Amino acid sequence: MSTKLINLQHISKSYGDNLILDDMNLYIRENEFLTLLGPSGCGKTTTLRIIGGFEKADQGIVYFDGLDISQLPPNKRQVNTVFQKYALFTHMSIAENIAFGLKIKGKSKAYIDDKINYALKLVNLEGYGHRSPDSLSGGQQQRIAIARAIVNEPKVLLLDEPLGALDLKLRQDMQYELIRLKNELGITFIYVTHDQEEALTMSDTIVVMNQGYIQQIGTPEDIYNEPENAFVADFIGDSNIIDAIMVQDELVDILGTKFACVDKGFGNNTPVDVVIRPEDVELVAPEKGTLEGVVTHLIFKGVHYEMEVLAGGFEWLVHSTALVPVGTKVGIHVDPFNIQIMNKPESEDEEAAVLDE
Amino acid sequence: MKNFLSLQARRVYIGLIMLFLYAPIITLIVLSFNASRSRAKWGGFTLNWYRALFENEAVMQALYNTLAIALLSSLIATVIGTISCIAINGMKKRGRTIFMGITNIPMLNADIVTGISLMLLFISLGVRFGFNTILLSHITFNIPYVILSVMPRMKQLNPSVYEAALDLGASPLKAYFKVVLPDLMPAIQSGFLMAFTMSLDDFIITHFTKGPGIDTLSTKIYTEVKKGIKPEMYALSTLIFVTVLVLLVLVNKTPVPEKKIRRLPVHGLTGKPWFKYGLTGILLLLIGGGLIFGITGLDEPKIEQVIVYNWGEYLDPEVIKMFEEETGIQVIYDEFETNEIMYPKVEAGTSAYDVICPSDYMIEKMIENDLLLEIDFSRIPNAANIGEQYYEQSKAFDPQNKYSVPYCWGTVGILYNKTMVEEPVDSWSILWDERYKNNILMQDSVRDAFMVALKLSGYSMNSIDKEELRQAKELLIRQQPLVQAYVVDQVRDKMIGGEAALGVIYSGEAIYTKRENSDLEYVIPKEGTNVWIDSWVIPKTSKNKENAETFINYMCRADIALMNFEYITYSTPNDAARALIEDEDIRNSTIAFPDLNQYDHLETFTYIGEDGDALYNKLWKEVKSQ
Amino acid sequence: MNKKKFWLMGPYLFWSIAFIIIPLCMVIYYGITDKTGSLTWENILSISTPEHLKALGLSLLLSFISTLICLILAYPLASILTTMSRNQHSFIVLIFILPMWMNFLLRTLAWQTLLEKTGVINHILSFFRLPSLNIINTPYAIVLGMVYNFLPFMVLPIYNSLSKIDKNIINAARDLGANGVQTFLRITFPLSLPGVISGITMVFIPALTTFVISNLLGGSKILLIGNIIEQEFTQASNWHIGSGLSIVLMIFILISMIVSALLDKDGEGTLL
Repeated sequence: MSTKLINLQHISKSYGDNLILDDMNLYIRENEFLTLLGPSGCGKTTTLRIIGGFEKADQGIVYFDGLDISQLPPNKRQVNTVFQKYALFTHMSIAENIAFGLKIKGKSKAYIDDKINYALKLVNLEGYGHRSPDSLSGGQQQRIAIARAIVNEPKVLLLDEPLGALDLKLRQDMQYELIRLKNELGITFIYVTHDQEEALTMSDTIVVMNQGYIQQIGTPEDIYNEPENAFVADFIGDSNIIDAIMVQDELVDILGTKFACVDKGFGNNTPVDVVIRPEDVELVAPEKGTLEGVVTHLIFKGVHYEMEVLAGGFEWLVHSTALVPVGTKVGIHVDPFNIQIMNKPESEDEEAAVLDE
Repeated sequence: MKNFLSLQARRVYIGLIMLFLYAPIITLIVLSFNASRSRAKWGGFTLNWYRALFENEAVMQALYNTLAIALLSSLIATVIGTISCIAINGMKKRGRTIFMGITNIPMLNADIVTGISLMLLFISLGVRFGFNTILLSHITFNIPYVILSVMPRMKQLNPSVYEAALDLGASPLKAYFKVVLPDLMPAIQSGFLMAFTMSLDDFIITHFTKGPGIDTLSTKIYTEVKKGIKPEMYALSTLIFVTVLVLLVLVNKTPVPEKKIRRLPVHGLTGKPWFKYGLTGILLLLIGGGLIFGITGLDEPKIEQVIVYNWGEYLDPEVIKMFEEETGIQVIYDEFETNEIMYPKVEAGTSAYDVICPSDYMIEKMIENDLLLEIDFSRIPNAANIGEQYYEQSKAFDPQNKYSVPYCWGTVGILYNKTMVEEPVDSWSILWDERYKNNILMQDSVRDAFMVALKLSGYSMNSIDKEELRQAKELLIRQQPLVQAYVVDQVRDKMIGGEAALGVIYSGEAIYTKRENSDLEYVIPKEGTNVWIDSWVIPKTSKNKENAETFINYMCRADIALMNFEYITYSTPNDAARALIEDEDIRNSTIAFPDLNQYDHLETFTYIGEDGDALYNKLWKEVKSQ
Repeated sequence: MNKKKFWLMGPYLFWSIAFIIIPLCMVIYYGITDKTGSLTWENILSISTPEHLKALGLSLLLSFISTLICLILAYPLASILTTMSRNQHSFIVLIFILPMWMNFLLRTLAWQTLLEKTGVINHILSFFRLPSLNIINTPYAIVLGMVYNFLPFMVLPIYNSLSKIDKNIINAARDLGANGVQTFLRITFPLSLPGVISGITMVFIPALTTFVISNLLGGSKILLIGNIIEQEFTQASNWHIGSGLSIVLMIFILISMIVSALLDKDGEGTLL
């Protein structure tokens, strides 16, 4: 995790009046698994296409290994892409698909055959070389698309929602497969998805985007545990996001009740957003809690129960392994380090960000 | 591809292709305002052709027929095609392959073969050729377009949609109408429009399946092409073009809701409500019209009628109107281009013609093959107006003057342009003169072409001697590179326009061409030529023999014969009519009424038998295929 | 469900037998009999006479050239159309269909007027003191007429198959290192092949069998196989030879159908 392999500087892009990316800066290190995460229309795919060379940024420069590649066509870039709907060449066999890039480069037949076998083995589809892409299942086609890209030994593999069309079980299998591949190949992956679970499972770094802006960059743990704003918090997992006032350092007023917290530096009596993950809300006896409420809904979720508790005029989302029947009076307790304090969004835009997925 | 061609280059390319596509159309539009009848000359701006167009009943009728056939056939084809798609979709793979194969036949087979095959079918069934046979043929070649348009959409259709409708309580029929059909609608509409376009544009199949008295625009134009096309047609095509263009521009100006699946851009058209209502309106109108047409068609046998089969442009249309008014007999009028085209239709007997006007040798052939009825001359008192010498001449093919009444006669000679040919012309041999390479127009019919060569060699033009014919063939082959084109009636227009220096032409056309272009001169070569007679005959198939005789008698009336002479400018054998000609120059014109005694080696064509015909045809093909 | 639906097949089943199969059988019947009704191969074999062979050869040559020119003109055109915005291209595609609403004979006739010795083009050429163009009544004029009349049948299928290609397929090829030309040769062109093949059949067959274009623009000096068949029916009234030659023509059509079916496995053509 050392050098900046790809560096995007001040990238802007718009289609007509529609601003897709606004002055974006981002770098990707060598051997990193970086995920661009966000709702549709957030600019993540456009970012990927600018790196791949399929779109040209209106402004800004793309550096690859320190060189400006902004004007380079896709075929001259040392990156390869795995497309959303695979984009396999239906008029060619699997082997021909995989061999395509190598033939273009004029590699020897022996080398190409070797590579085909190696790639098919790598994606667990040995012996499929002579078949036609149409005869494969979605998951298999996906793997061929990956095989076709990696035989060219790219320094960076771009993946555009590669698992979007697969069913849940297959998607989970492929996630592990991708991590394995990444480790075996030792190259950089840039992965685009709108599925936060996928992002959390696979990535070294997650870039959360919305409306053309980067909202937060960090490790999966950072993003999940310490979202920097309400958008990120809401997008990543379930959350209780509550308007609150930072009374002073380490003390926050939530729904009229004072809670101890660990954050400092927000000033005194500052309006803030508070994020509390549902699993961090502890239900205790009414008199023992900081806040008193009543359980209004209860659903069994397998690993845990999901409950809603009306307390202080707010519907708290609570995850707990212990069952508390509807109508029970409960107390709410949150440990200070589980209270995440965030500044209110600065612009109207950010506040208006609606999740449509 | 984007970087391949710059935007500029792409625009230029599209522009050039447009020019290529539209140059002829612009030409047609310009010609529609040309005061000169000839295509080759600009005679000033006029709107006369547009007025003439709306007054020309034959063209308006052809337009109506074209639209009615296009609409009816594409409508019926759409219904049958769509139903078939539902059925084919439910079939197993093998059945589907077979049916799609059959569907492809009319699409991929040559139009000419499809046309011929349908013609053979109708002839063998003894169906009368007419509106119905054209309609049936058009439906046949339209169904595939509908199926090929609807089928792919059908395959994309989610079967659950139909099942969901059933599940929600719809009956199968209702489910189809409420759910499946609306989903197929864009494809059905584009199939309909495709079929409509194809029907509108078809010529070849209509050419083989049309009957007497009915023309679509295509067949009308084709007959006119041979005769020299009337500028009304240019006006008509300009109007059609402008209508379609305006329609398209309107459609493109109004914003179209973006549809997910759009295969043909014509959907833009079909998506408009006003278009739908308009179309429905036109359809209802036409179907209504068709019904009335059909009912009057059923009444036909009750009305007194006579079916006339004549050469193209060989009768003043006004005469027909007068005849109908005076006698109350309805005339169904059909035209042919050559004797050879006329003969098989009469022989097959599917079109029950009452009166035909073939030429000499063809009459002989028809007599020989027992296709004609004896004419009751007691019912044709006006036959006495015909000069005796013409009956004498007719004995060459109708020895007892029992079967035919002469209608027109004339010679074949050379028409030449005095500004292009300086020496005096008196021999067929000038048609072999290298100096006039590409400036010679020959007749595109076997007997006429061989007549020229045989006469030049000093043989009879009715020769069936193999050696004489071989020599004639060699001559014609030698002439072929010098010939600009083999044409029939187009000689007239081309000579007027100064397209060629010399042309072989019928004397009747010569008067007209001289009137239009005073540089032209007509001569009968010294080696002799064909003196031909076209006469009225009654075929065995006639169902209205008395009406036919009434018609012939009317044609022999002096004033009527005069009207016809003035309209077609072909020499009339009607002495009484000739006496009525006011213009002395014409009455004594040596072109219209040459004194045949002045010329040597004149002959009239005789029937040379089936083997003779076959031999001529074979040799003619050898000439043409050089 | 299948059985229930079978009656729906009725109308078309009847129609195709009555108006497609039986008429074709009649052509074949006439083709293999002579005037007395006895069986003979002579009508079909008459194709081997020099004048018939020559006409057939010329037809094949001219339609081949026309098809090739159509392809060369239509392919770039179709790919330009695919790069256009929806509104623009639907208008332009319509512009290509529009001439088809004008009568086919009139359009061809207009070319006669343009190409004649004293025609419009020569007037323009002589105005600029350029040598005159004398292609009327030559095979060149026939080829021109064929290209003119059949070009839309080449453009539309190619356009359809090109517009069906997923943009990402092209991107994928570029991504894998292919340059513009390589992408075209290895990806775009092979994927548009069904359209190209259907276009070729849609142009080649009518060109092979036409008699109108050769009549109007060839001055009847040039006999194509279509002219010979037409003459046998309408002038020589020898339906048996006409039918025999039609059978030969059908054999050629059948061959090109089989070839296109083999190459275009979906087998449904993409004209519409």
